[in-house]
Amino acid sequence: MNLLNGAHGAEFLRAVQVVFLAFLTVAALAILFAPTGKPGKVNYGLLRIIVAGALFAVLAYQATWQLSGHTNSDFVRFMRRYNKRPNAAEMQVTRGPILDRRGMVLAAPVPGDMWGRRYPLGEAAVHPIGYFHSRYGITAVERVCDAALSGFGNDKRDELFGKNLFASRPNEGEAVTLTLDARLQQKAYELLIGEKGAVVVMLPRSGALLALVSSPGFDPLNPGVAIGDEENAPAFNRAVQGRYPPGSTFKILIAGAALEKGLSPSYACPGMGYIAGPNTPPIRDSEYYAFERKGAVWPGWGRLTLREAMAHSSNVYFAQLGVACGADAFNSVIARARINDPLIYAKGSSGTLESAAGNVPKISKKRTIAQLAIGQGEVLVTPLHVACFTAAVANGGALMRPRLLQNGKREKLSDLFMPKTTEQLRGMLRDVVLFGTGKAANVPDLEVCGKTGTAQAPGGEDHAWFTCFAPRKHPNIVITVLVEHGGYGAKSALPVARELLVEADKLGYVRRSAEVEK
Amino acid sequence: MSRKNQTIAPVGAAAGLFLISVLTIACACLSVLGVKLSNAPVLPWEQMIPLGVYLAGVPVALIWLKVIGWKGDPGLVGAIFLLCGIGLVIQFRMGSFSQGLAAPLALAPFPLGLVAFVVGATAMGKGRGAWMANMSWLAYLAALGVLAGMLVLGRSFRGGLYLAGNLNPSEVIKPLLVFFLAAYLSRRQKEFSETQNGIPVPPFAALLGLVLLWGVPMVLTIALKDLGLMVLLNAILIVMLFAVARSTGYLAIGLAAVAAAGFGVQLISAHAQARFDVWLNPFADPTGKGWQVLQALSAMYSGGLWGAGLGSGVPQTVPIVSSDFVYAAVAEEIGFVGCGLLLLAYAVLFSRGFRAAGAARTPFERLLCVGLTASLAVQTILNVAGVTKALPMTGITLPLISHGGSSLITTLFIAGLLVGLSDHK
Repeated sequence: MNLLNGAHGAEFLRAVQVVFLAFLTVAALAILFAPTGKPGKVNYGLLRIIVAGALFAVLAYQATWQLSGHTNSDFVRFMRRYNKRPNAAEMQVTRGPILDRRGMVLAAPVPGDMWGRRYPLGEAAVHPIGYFHSRYGITAVERVCDAALSGFGNDKRDELFGKNLFASRPNEGEAVTLTLDARLQQKAYELLIGEKGAVVVMLPRSGALLALVSSPGFDPLNPGVAIGDEENAPAFNRAVQGRYPPGSTFKILIAGAALEKGLSPSYACPGMGYIAGPNTPPIRDSEYYAFERKGAVWPGWGRLTLREAMAHSSNVYFAQLGVACGADAFNSVIARARINDPLIYAKGSSGTLESAAGNVPKISKKRTIAQLAIGQGEVLVTPLHVACFTAAVANGGALMRPRLLQNGKREKLSDLFMPKTTEQLRGMLRDVVLFGTGKAANVPDLEVCGKTGTAQAPGGEDHAWFTCFAPRKHPNIVITVLVEHGGYGAKSALPVARELLVEADKLGYVRRSAEVEK
Repeated sequence: MSRKNQTIAPVGAAAGLFLISVLTIACACLSVLGVKLSNAPVLPWEQMIPLGVYLAGVPVALIWLKVIGWKGDPGLVGAIFLLCGIGLVIQFRMGSFSQGLAAPLALAPFPLGLVAFVVGATAMGKGRGAWMANMSWLAYLAALGVLAGMLVLGRSFRGGLYLAGNLNPSEVIKPLLVFFLAAYLSRRQKEFSETQNGIPVPPFAALLGLVLLWGVPMVLTIALKDLGLMVLLNAILIVMLFAVARSTGYLAIGLAAVAAAGFGVQLISAHAQARFDVWLNPFADPTGKGWQVLQALSAMYSGGLWGAGLGSGVPQTVPIVSSDFVYAAVAEEIGFVGCGLLLLAYAVLFSRGFRAAGAARTPFERLLCVGLTASLAVQTILNVAGVTKALPMTGITLPLISHGGSSLITTLFIAGLLVGLSDHK
């Protein structure tokens, strides 16, 4: 009987199992096709179909657990913890690492500790990477790539087609490579320390995310504290989940919509502001309030062209331009920019990561257009949305899907603008940095184009935005910065973007003519 | 062309199917024995007594069918003994017979069930059971008596009620109430099949009487907190109403009513609600209420497509795996492929059961056949759906495979009745 122990025993039992299943097949088919005797008057076909259909439906549902249970991360987590089978693969698999685009380790297993995980970037990268915690569960990339990381990614599928009949599973999970650059991620996080805010750094042509930062961060090894902190909400990923009024960054979309319509008017922009309709407060430029605080009276810009209005970020101009565009053009550009849709930015083996959806109400009245056109009122967007439409301007008008996984597919979401329009927009945004509100961002030789934004926020100082790309002729990088309650956009958000531009340039992301972009 | 059909005698065909089943079961046995012997090299011959009875007893039963001139559906017999054989191997593998002769009660159900099978087949064959239509009130009162007795004598165990020795007499209630319904409905078949301008008219008087009579056992099952039995009985009722009226309206209304009732019950019963919650989200309390079904699903996952091999899995991690959750053990060890074949065998059994009903001579026999088949079909679907989490767990057993003496004996008796009813000449 010793024959049954060891390798021969296992082979013998496998052979018996094959023969058993073969006999069972024959037996089941034999009773299926056995003679039936005389047919009756009634054959209750409906009942027979219902019963067979119900059994088949249950079997199909069973397959979702028995054959593809590894795609359910809750289930994999349960098995990893509580499956007491001595040889259960899910107990023994060493979880695969998560790497940045250059192969730098972002998350790595700890040998000998099933739940052990090492995160070299710590709190700087916790939002895109997530955590893997025995008590608090799995989030972000750790969650949506769980099957691959746990080594469940491919092997079951192979088995389904009989390649690995009875083969054992791998004892090491796959590595998952992100589009992030650990150096930029780290740098961006450091620049935001002490603030609440978000940074998105993107490659405009591929949609690859070089950095996705939300501040404050938290220790991925100890997420409990962060989850409990409701005041600062460090567990909240502001870059993709935070919804903020876009302020003047929205003017990029309005200007584009106007240009597509062939509109490039000049408007009188009086100091007292623009009144869209009866019983609506006037829309004024920020200078009006600055003068008011000093006890002076703002004389107004006088007549502005679109180009000048963009450089000065004139609310009075853009309110009028929005009204001139009309509801259809406005609604259409919002739809093309996917503002009201959640943006899926990672499709992993166990799920997808998506941003929150922005919120722009469908409009019909001109006075609401006036408010919305300057990014105020009920408009809310995520920093990721702003980065995406900025990237579209940098990319000849094609809005690319943002993506965090290196093996994700490059995908165009829509044609936001015509190439000609983006050419004009780029010129305007270059002027913003050369002569306008974004002067401080003018890093020599980089031809930075950008737009500041200052959005009224309930209960405190305004939210500060800066969104930019560089270089103008052949944009290679897009940076969007949001600082919650940062005040004037050029004051708090812009310096962060500038530092990042310099850093990205040092790392070779900005000044290159390379067409190949991963 | 009919000549060829005539040359295969039904009993002969059944014997052929049994032979294939024996080969299948032998392979399964070899696998289980291989594992058992590699753990402890002593031949567990006492534990194999039920399998021995299977090997020797089923041919005797078939010979008896030949003697009484049975000419029913051989596929029905084949399906029953294939499933029954697999059930015996699984129970042998789960150690249900491990005490051997020291616990003869554990070994007895299959032999007794085989006797019940023969009795049922003999009693119902060739229309011999038609007279029972007049005894339906006895069946009704007996069912009420059993329910009342359980309410008084039973002790609560795992949310259900069991009598001493974990004998579950509620099993008997199914065939008893099916008898009653078959007689009651067949007597009123005319009223149920009335139509006006092609639209069926529900016979309100007959339905009201039915509701009143049906209400008593329903109240008793609610008092027993036996949710599974209640769902099962109502599903049988719906199928039988459909069969007598031949109108899909009963099926649609009935299914809606069952869904509504199920939802209502889970609102008032904490026990039912717990099962409902676990069904919706087992991961909310994975180590508590979700534990059993999650362990069952883990067992299935470990089995994968081809199974761990009979005897080579670790299904013991699933609580009460040998009875209610036996399907999890089966899925782990014979794999998804094996499960598909097993469910195919069940589907053939039910399909042939309904077909036999269509060929029956009297309305009573026809309805009896439909009801008995439905009782097995609904029980199978509810059990398998419960274990795979497709539906909330209702705590009923898998016919012919789950551990449980009263269940096996009753199921084999029902199977015997069906085999008898399929011989309608």
